Amino acid sequence: MINITLYKREMKSSLKMLLLFAAIITMYVTIIIRMYDPEMMATLDSFYEVMPEVMASVGMSAGATNLIGFMISYLYGFILLIFPMIFCIMRGNGLIARYVDRGSMVTLLASPIKRGTIAATQLSVLISGILLLVVYATGLEYTIAEISFPGELAIAELLKLNAALLCLHLFIGGICFLASCIFSDTRYSIAFGAGVPALMYILQMLANAGEEADVIKYFTFFTLFDAKGIVAGEGGAALGMLVLLFGAITFYGIGILAFCKKDLHI
Amino acid sequence: MRVINVQNLTRDYGSGKGIFDVSIQVEKGEVFGFLGPNGAGKTTTIRHLMGFIKPKAGNCQIDGLDCWKDRGEIQKGLGYIPGEISFFDDMTGKEFLKFVADYRNLGKENRMQEMLERFESNPKGKIKKMSKGMKQKLGIVSAFMHNPDILILDEPTSGLDPLMQNRFVELIAEEKKKGKTILLSSHMFEEVERTCDRIGIIRNGKLVTVDAVETLRERHMHTYTVHLDSPQLAEDFARDFQGVCDGNRVTVAAKQSLETIFMNYYGGEEND
Repeated sequence: MINITLYKREMKSSLKMLLLFAAIITMYVTIIIRMYDPEMMATLDSFYEVMPEVMASVGMSAGATNLIGFMISYLYGFILLIFPMIFCIMRGNGLIARYVDRGSMVTLLASPIKRGTIAATQLSVLISGILLLVVYATGLEYTIAEISFPGELAIAELLKLNAALLCLHLFIGGICFLASCIFSDTRYSIAFGAGVPALMYILQMLANAGEEADVIKYFTFFTLFDAKGIVAGEGGAALGMLVLLFGAITFYGIGILAFCKKDLHI
Repeated sequence: MRVINVQNLTRDYGSGKGIFDVSIQVEKGEVFGFLGPNGAGKTTTIRHLMGFIKPKAGNCQIDGLDCWKDRGEIQKGLGYIPGEISFFDDMTGKEFLKFVADYRNLGKENRMQEMLERFESNPKGKIKKMSKGMKQKLGIVSAFMHNPDILILDEPTSGLDPLMQNRFVELIAEEKKKGKTILLSSHMFEEVERTCDRIGIIRNGKLVTVDAVETLRERHMHTYTVHLDSPQLAEDFARDFQGVCDGNRVTVAAKQSLETIFMNYYGGEEND
């Protein structure tokens, strides 16, 4: 179903970017988890009292009483959303649209490898990258938490949370992949693949910021990722996660189909 | 046996651009020259053959298989040189050829080394830094590497120096002897004249004529016999004007430019 030679080449291309984002995540996760201090929570809460909109807009809210609550407030509102998202945008565009735009897709197509196989290979490269980032973040979070605050972090809760995070990023990856398959021009592929997730994230920030803007949350898919709800085991949050997963699979399917059907002027 | 069969292929890009009602048949073991100026529709026709674009009207088949639906199957025995070479810039030439060989799942038994030697190419450097000619050689190697029975070559000699162009002409002749079917596009009359059995001329998306090379040559080449004062002079004259020397006499042929030939089909004057 996938072409191993192409997969290897693409994973090699992903490597630099993966290492970069892994380094960024390492830095933030380490710093933020080590900042956790039940007494410090009071200080952060006081920040929240002074500038609630600013803190809330980046997903940081008051009243995080345990370590996972603290992590949700300070890691799952920005760091772990934005960086894998940038990876999806950059890689998503590079996997199909850039090849078509530059004309080097000819090399891939002038061979007995079917278009469906090419698209599935490129998709699996994107999914592998997302998976590696989320798995790495999970391992890192657990390790740092165990070193700094042994026994404070429940692994089951962390796994549930990151499973939801994975679904969110698979969904974002789906948008980027779809854009890459539909548009033959990198400009449009990036405009759509980066524009939609970025706009959704901004809406999410607005929705978090104020009471009256709360209604905006119905217009962004980030609402489907309910970190606190997942950890608390709420049914609605689990449903949101499933919607993201099925959405992702749908985007992948449409993307591959679009690529197989479209005219390529290369 | 008809290997390449294009029937009434039409693709209208608007404002007169595109191809209109193009029909081409290439028999097994034949070298077909596809001649036309830039933007005439050669590449558009070839994209249809490669299964890159779906015919809006008409259809095209290779080996009896539909070029759009069965493109994967067709590609097994097909070699292609694109008109505009764009490989993976981040690789060296060697890495690229190895990638293509692995990607196609070719074994050790392939013609890569033979082709590299034939074109005196040692592509160690990054593709990004290569000259047009170097890239073209890479394109030739990757098109012939898997020893395909059918070759679709879109302006295959562009960027090659005259020596390498000759090597290429020799290669085509050899492949033809082996019974390969070749469709070669070009905007140079001399090139197709030297390699092809039949020539199709396309202009503004319409196939103007399909003729045997001999017929076209007879129709469009004028020969003159010149008498000179001494055999020595005749020899010099023959060398300078690419004529055939016979004693004091030299026979020279005046080749019309491609444009003149087109004008014959478009400009009103029929057959000289």
